[in-house]
Amino acid sequence: MVLVLALGDLHIPHRAPDLPAKFKSMLVPGKIQHIICTGNLCIKEVHDYLKTLCPDLHIARGEYDEDSRYPETKTITIGQFKVGLCHGHQVIPWGDLDSLAMLQRQLDVDILVTGHTHQFTAYKHEGGVVINPGSATGAHSSITYDVNPSFILMDIDGLRVVVYVYELIDGEVKVDKIDFKKTTATTAN
Amino acid sequence: MSDDMHAVASRPELPEKSATLDVTRRFRDLRSVQWRINLGVLPSSPSASTDELRRVTADSRRRYARMRRRLLIDPHTSKDGSNMPDLAMDNPLSQNPESSWGRFFRNAELEKMVDQDLLRLYPEDGSYFQTPGCQGMLRRILLLWCLRHPQYGYRQGMHELLAPLIYVLQVDINRLCKVRELYEEHFTDKFDELSVHESDLTYNFDYKRFSNAMDIPSNSNENARKATSLSDLDTEVQQIVLLSDPYGAESELGIVLSEKFMEHDAFSMFEALMSGVNGSVAMADFFSHLPADGTNNSSPPVIEVSTALYHLLSLVDSPLHSHLNELGVEPQYFCLRWLRVLFGREFKLLDLLVIWDEIFSEDNSKIELRDAESFAIFGSARGAFIATMAVSMILYLRPSLLGAEIATSALQRLLNFPQNVDLKRLIQKAKSLQVLALNAASTLSMAPSLSGELDHRKPNVRGHSMSSDSLSPKSPLSLVPDSYWEEKWRVLHKEEEELSRSGSEKRVPIPTKKRGWTEKIRAGLARTESDPSPVQSTNVRKGPRATVRRSLLEDLSRQLGSDEGIEDVIPQDTCSNENTSSEDNSWVSSDTPDAEKSSALNDDSENYTSGESPLPVSDVPVESSAIMALDDNCIDKVEKDVKDQKPLLGKLQWLWKFGRGYPSEETADKGGETTEAPKSTDPEGSQNIETEPSVFDEIHEPCPTSKGDGQDLNMMGTFKNLGQSMLEHIQVIETAFQFQQERGHAGPLESFSKNVLVGKGQVTAVAALKELRKISNLLSEM
Repeated sequence: MVLVLALGDLHIPHRAPDLPAKFKSMLVPGKIQHIICTGNLCIKEVHDYLKTLCPDLHIARGEYDEDSRYPETKTITIGQFKVGLCHGHQVIPWGDLDSLAMLQRQLDVDILVTGHTHQFTAYKHEGGVVINPGSATGAHSSITYDVNPSFILMDIDGLRVVVYVYELIDGEVKVDKIDFKKTTATTAN
Repeated sequence: MSDDMHAVASRPELPEKSATLDVTRRFRDLRSVQWRINLGVLPSSPSASTDELRRVTADSRRRYARMRRRLLIDPHTSKDGSNMPDLAMDNPLSQNPESSWGRFFRNAELEKMVDQDLLRLYPEDGSYFQTPGCQGMLRRILLLWCLRHPQYGYRQGMHELLAPLIYVLQVDINRLCKVRELYEEHFTDKFDELSVHESDLTYNFDYKRFSNAMDIPSNSNENARKATSLSDLDTEVQQIVLLSDPYGAESELGIVLSEKFMEHDAFSMFEALMSGVNGSVAMADFFSHLPADGTNNSSPPVIEVSTALYHLLSLVDSPLHSHLNELGVEPQYFCLRWLRVLFGREFKLLDLLVIWDEIFSEDNSKIELRDAESFAIFGSARGAFIATMAVSMILYLRPSLLGAEIATSALQRLLNFPQNVDLKRLIQKAKSLQVLALNAASTLSMAPSLSGELDHRKPNVRGHSMSSDSLSPKSPLSLVPDSYWEEKWRVLHKEEEELSRSGSEKRVPIPTKKRGWTEKIRAGLARTESDPSPVQSTNVRKGPRATVRRSLLEDLSRQLGSDEGIEDVIPQDTCSNENTSSEDNSWVSSDTPDAEKSSALNDDSENYTSGESPLPVSDVPVESSAIMALDDNCIDKVEKDVKDQKPLLGKLQWLWKFGRGYPSEETADKGGETTEAPKSTDPEGSQNIETEPSVFDEIHEPCPTSKGDGQDLNMMGTFKNLGQSMLEHIQVIETAFQFQQERGHAGPLESFSKNVLVGKGQVTAVAALKELRKISNLLSEM
């Protein structure tokens, strides 16, 4: 019963002032065990805010991030799942499933989380999941029209992960759910 | 751990209860069943058949199972079993209070709190309570109870109430297994209930027996012989068998001792304990911060019970109570822990089980309290017993509590209750106090006519007299009500009677108690039976006698028309302080010689209806031997002589005259003179010193009269001992004086008179000491 929050591309303060109020009210500290951030926060204040939600915070470097110390890619093991993290601007064509699958194989992860497109997508692909949490603030993107603020909450429970998608459409929070089961357990290193 | 469990199965000695099969003892060997009956989980009427027991058991278990299914939720399984849950409500981040995730998180919080406590529950190695299975059970039970009673939440300590309940269940199940092994044939599956098939092997295939039979052919014969009928077994085994018959009422669910349903049973016991089924004492109240309903006070129940405790203590043992009050030891500091876990922290587990047996066997039904002002805890026998148990524990620690000079040390003592205690005595004392508690729930007046087994309580008038410090020394008697003296006299008179009756027995020194009859007398002055531990040093803790003597001394000093200075010095303060301050030091040590002599006189003078003897303050070790050596007859005689109705003051003067007019002792005169001189300036010192010869004389004088009884040799022996002890105490005084001299005038001087003692009094005291030495030499020569 591990709750993992995945979000990114906030572009605060350049393209958006803050998270939507409805999202903020939902994100209370204490419920979430890990936060995975695809990048482009961009400033330290956002980093601190995310830290208050959960002390275990993983961030990959986006092209507009002001802190250059974030890694390009990151791999985390949560429960039985290996989760890979990358911003996605490095993988071209942007948002292409096959290229992302290449990255997934490269990182050898079950779940790959990337961003940059500001568009929520989730693919089940070759025994793994490729997820894009979209932009949590709905920041402007040059490749996507009509960006809706969105983020993802993963409930990792044994060999099963349930992905809850929260989208802010027309001022209302809409929730969707995707189930994913892993076939084999990860061997401990 | 299993050894402990086996040990528990053989019950420790308990005070005798009536032999009738009363409901509290029906299953005396099966604690879990017994407790379930006492707590109200199982029907408590003595006529309840096994079937009824089983039915009630089954019902309670069903309730628990239902509740568990309802409350322990898995958020993945959607509510109402529908496949399309409303995700807007049921997502993990939902703020909706009804969402199952919300409940899940709330439960998780509770669980975290519970876990914190569980990890620290009886953490000894190999402890039964730390096994994952047990921990899981504990966690679930506590969680469910808290969910059921959200107004209480989870408080630290609830787990300690639950742990012994599970323990006794486990013990009984172990017992069941053992019995099973012994009496196999009664546990076979009587599927058809046809006895004809019992020995027919085609119906009863017991693989174990089969394999045994193969290996050792002789076994089959033995097994055949062992087929006794159920009624041949002794009752307890019979009970066990009937209670665990899988084909009885309610079949498996009704097996009263069942491992499968341990959790269910533990829950029902816990719930009954916490809510005090139909009774007055609900443990849950102790955990709440809000005042209980139906009471008119505004304090939380624990505070209320603590004050009730202290009230009871003040009735039973006023000096200790006032001492604790002065120190500032509020009852709830230690009572909170005692009450919330029902003394679970103060005793080892096995001792605790004994105590809980007693507590649970008390009736918990509500008793109508005589008046609305009285404490709610006394509203049931069980509540009263809990309170008196606590009081009895406090009384057990009496010596060290009285010796504590600051609140911290007293609290330390209270919070670290000694490990090896005599449980029987504690419980007996609690029971005796229980009657008192139930009667005197509100009012204060007590008749001294209560049965002799109860310790004599100090009449309340004493309290008044002690607190009236502003008595004019000139006419003390008139301000102390006559009834006070009468009661005193009556009390002591009773004691004497008992004494004289048992005088001959007391001759034989009692090995356990060093001070035989003297203690009895002192006990008669409303002290408890706590053993004052032998005092090692002269600068000592005050023993139980101290307080009485102190108060009596106070009365005496008032009577003697002493100067104002005395009142301040009067050891209300010395009560609380240790003899570290120089003034107190001298004061106390100068008392020490009196201790010996006066203890003899003391006990006599107690017959004077108190107040007269100059009462020393502290325990001194050697006195016991001196006292013991004193011939009982002699003292009895003295008592009787003295008891002749002389007016108080007259007696007093007689004492003085003795001191002055003793023919063979020129020292007495000097003593008298020395007393005159410092008297104006140093009342206390004079008192002590003057009375010393008088004390000695007093003893000396009557004793020759009893020589006619033909116990000369005894007399000699006693004189020698007396002399010796006198010598020792003289030494004590001297050292104390030296000590004091070194100390100088350090420490606050509370009263001018104390100052004076330091200065002039020393000189006179030293002189008087020399006189005493002479006396003692004379004595020893004789």
